[in-house]
Amino acid sequence: MNQYFLRKECKELHAFPHIIEFAFKKISTIQFGSLTKAAHDFLRIYYVADGRFDWMIDNQHYILYPGDLALILPGQSFGGEKDLLDIGTVAWLHLGLQQLEPTGKMIMGKWSRLSDSECRSIGQILVLNNCPVLSKLKEAGTLMQHIQQEFAQQEIGYTTRINQLIEELFIVVARQLTRQNTSRRDFPQTFMKLEQTLRERLSHQWTVEEMAALVGLGNTAFSEKVKSYTGFSPLNYLINIRISEAIKLLKRPDVHVTDIALDVGFYSSQHFATTFKKLTGYTPSEFRKKNTTTPE
Amino acid sequence: MDCIVTIEIGTGAIRVAAFDLEGVIIGSVKGSYPTFHSKPGYSEQDPEQIFITMLYMLKNFLNEKIHPKNHTVVSICFSSAMHSVLAISKTGVPLGNAIVWSDNRAKKEADDLKHSDFGKSLYQMTGTPIHAMSPLNKIAWIKNNNKEWFDAAYKFLSIKTYIIQQLTGEYVVDYSVASATGLLNIHSLQWEDLALQHAGINKSQLAEAVPVFYAPKKLKRQYQTSLGLPENVKLLVGSSDGCMATLGAGVWGDEKATVTMEESGAVRVVGKEVLQDKQQRLFNYVLSDGYYVSGGPTNNVGAAFEWYAKQFGDFKKVFDLEDCIEDLLIEAGRVPAGSEGLIFLPYLQGERAPIWNANARGAYFGLNIKHEQRHFIRATIEGILFAFYNIGKTLEEHRSFTSLSANGTYAAYPLWTQMMADMFNKPVLVKQNSGPDSVACGAFLVSATEMGLYKDLEQAAQKVKLAENFQPNAQHHEIYMKLFAIFERLSTKLFDEFEAIADLQQNT
Repeated sequence: MNQYFLRKECKELHAFPHIIEFAFKKISTIQFGSLTKAAHDFLRIYYVADGRFDWMIDNQHYILYPGDLALILPGQSFGGEKDLLDIGTVAWLHLGLQQLEPTGKMIMGKWSRLSDSECRSIGQILVLNNCPVLSKLKEAGTLMQHIQQEFAQQEIGYTTRINQLIEELFIVVARQLTRQNTSRRDFPQTFMKLEQTLRERLSHQWTVEEMAALVGLGNTAFSEKVKSYTGFSPLNYLINIRISEAIKLLKRPDVHVTDIALDVGFYSSQHFATTFKKLTGYTPSEFRKKNTTTPE
Repeated sequence: MDCIVTIEIGTGAIRVAAFDLEGVIIGSVKGSYPTFHSKPGYSEQDPEQIFITMLYMLKNFLNEKIHPKNHTVVSICFSSAMHSVLAISKTGVPLGNAIVWSDNRAKKEADDLKHSDFGKSLYQMTGTPIHAMSPLNKIAWIKNNNKEWFDAAYKFLSIKTYIIQQLTGEYVVDYSVASATGLLNIHSLQWEDLALQHAGINKSQLAEAVPVFYAPKKLKRQYQTSLGLPENVKLLVGSSDGCMATLGAGVWGDEKATVTMEESGAVRVVGKEVLQDKQQRLFNYVLSDGYYVSGGPTNNVGAAFEWYAKQFGDFKKVFDLEDCIEDLLIEAGRVPAGSEGLIFLPYLQGERAPIWNANARGAYFGLNIKHEQRHFIRATIEGILFAFYNIGKTLEEHRSFTSLSANGTYAAYPLWTQMMADMFNKPVLVKQNSGPDSVACGAFLVSATEMGLYKDLEQAAQKVKLAENFQPNAQHHEIYMKLFAIFERLSTKLFDEFEAIADLQQNT
């Protein structure tokens, strides 16, 4: 394997303003300070092709073996456990994203052809994931190799190919994350995790596509599965949680009805009132009045 | 046409069904809600989510299946899981989530009480085995561990009481659910002062205990309107899921027992006498005045089999557990009865009746070099069913029965019911597959009896038709009895080892 290393100043990267650094390197001597712990505002992907690497990611210690991939989100700290790169072969990509918010809202940038909703779903998966190391992801290694070859050979169409390969890397990583986080056998357990995520971020305007992506199923399969397991369509299940949470807040006299509506994920107090009345027969304010006075 | 609606507030789901007055099912729906485990051993549910799920399912069901056909709902009957505790404030607002039956936080309270003389007399009075499941110990836990919560609690309700209060404004609990709290004297049908004292509460902090036929005065007007129900519709408080399943399985009197096979399971009989088991192995719950449902629960039925399927089954499609289970059952059918000497102890979640040992754990015993994977599958099912047989055997020390009626998800698998018949050496009867589940059927019978369609519950129970009949195979029975003797000994002999391994697992 040739040593391959590109950084922002290199002319190879002029056509790729989003790529901050790309490397495919064999490390045969230990150099102190070769990988110091630091946080950056770009996304980092490290793939181990050979060797054993001791890394600190987001203040957690991980040991990576060949085939493993580390995903470091903007703002997370990352570096060698001893601030150095261990001996072995490793490929990495530093990528500037136009936007990746803590809510999971992600915009890749003009170079990418991924649709808005695909970006949103991938963004959710990246942000909600709590395990930065993906194991046995040889597919990612192959993609890294192809990226390197395209850079080295610069044949016709190579800019498009490289951007496509990076997109594919995102897709492979997102899919692997959902596989790693769900058992693929235990739907009740998987659904429980999803339901917990929905509750934690109830004000988010969830789409079926986003929810399905988190579970690692297509929209249709996901909707069918949720319907047969819970009796609700995914969006109705969500409304169900929203109303249940709203009821709790309505019973506390100190929260304003409009705030309740937005907190639990209705886009307006009107939308909240209509949905609430349809189900319970009461408007939210009537319901509050009935339930904050002593019964009997 | 007049119809009866049944609402089951189950462990993980609401089930709504409707019947015509002949007992023919019109339709049914299910809506599930989660159980939260905020700490190991804790199991809680959100009362508001249960209420909303109930409203949503009921409303959609009425709008889709009942109103368009101009059916008139004349009676609604409730049933629910037992042992739940929900504390509410003076204004009727829930103080956090409800603690449900599977919650184990009151283990210490229960253990301390169980072997004391006071505990023994409480069991005699209340019929409820002293266990972390019962509200008696759960309320005592709150008293001992969370004074703020305890002091703020105006009342301690069951989930069903809360749901009915939301709909009608009345705080009531039926004798069946009340008799599973460990706080009701099942002989006098009054809240038992000594139990209340132990829990640190007074009578006014509990709902009023009423017969299963009791109907609160009225459904609140808003719900009448939004659900489109007539003003004079009767809401019956109904019974517990266990009692309803027994009634709905047609079990009444001395000859029959029922087995329920869901996530967990139970064996039950109905009679006029309370079964006083010296070792406190059996429960006695009130079905209606003068009738008791007695029996024992097991923790590991569907839970244990699904564990096996998820770990070792072949999933051809993502999340397709049903398909995987079908394949496993075919494999199990290819192994002779007794799994050629492989025994499974199914105690993955500890066990209740009859060994009542929360520290019991699972094991495969008797493994030799010839055993294949399919032996494990069959042994797993046999072990789960040996646990039922173990309860049945305990029951028969007090009352004999000549046949069993099986219900629940796993009663639909002929392999399971046949094994059950072979173990008990008694015929096992099952309802037709298309029929309503036994809990809904029991609730229908309560409503129909209240309306005067049947003279009493006994006559109602006789109306239940059980179509399929599994006859025992004497040869298999003989094999099973040899294995069961070992199973039974292992279940008690391993007591010290169970303690040691549970302790080790808790600390890793």
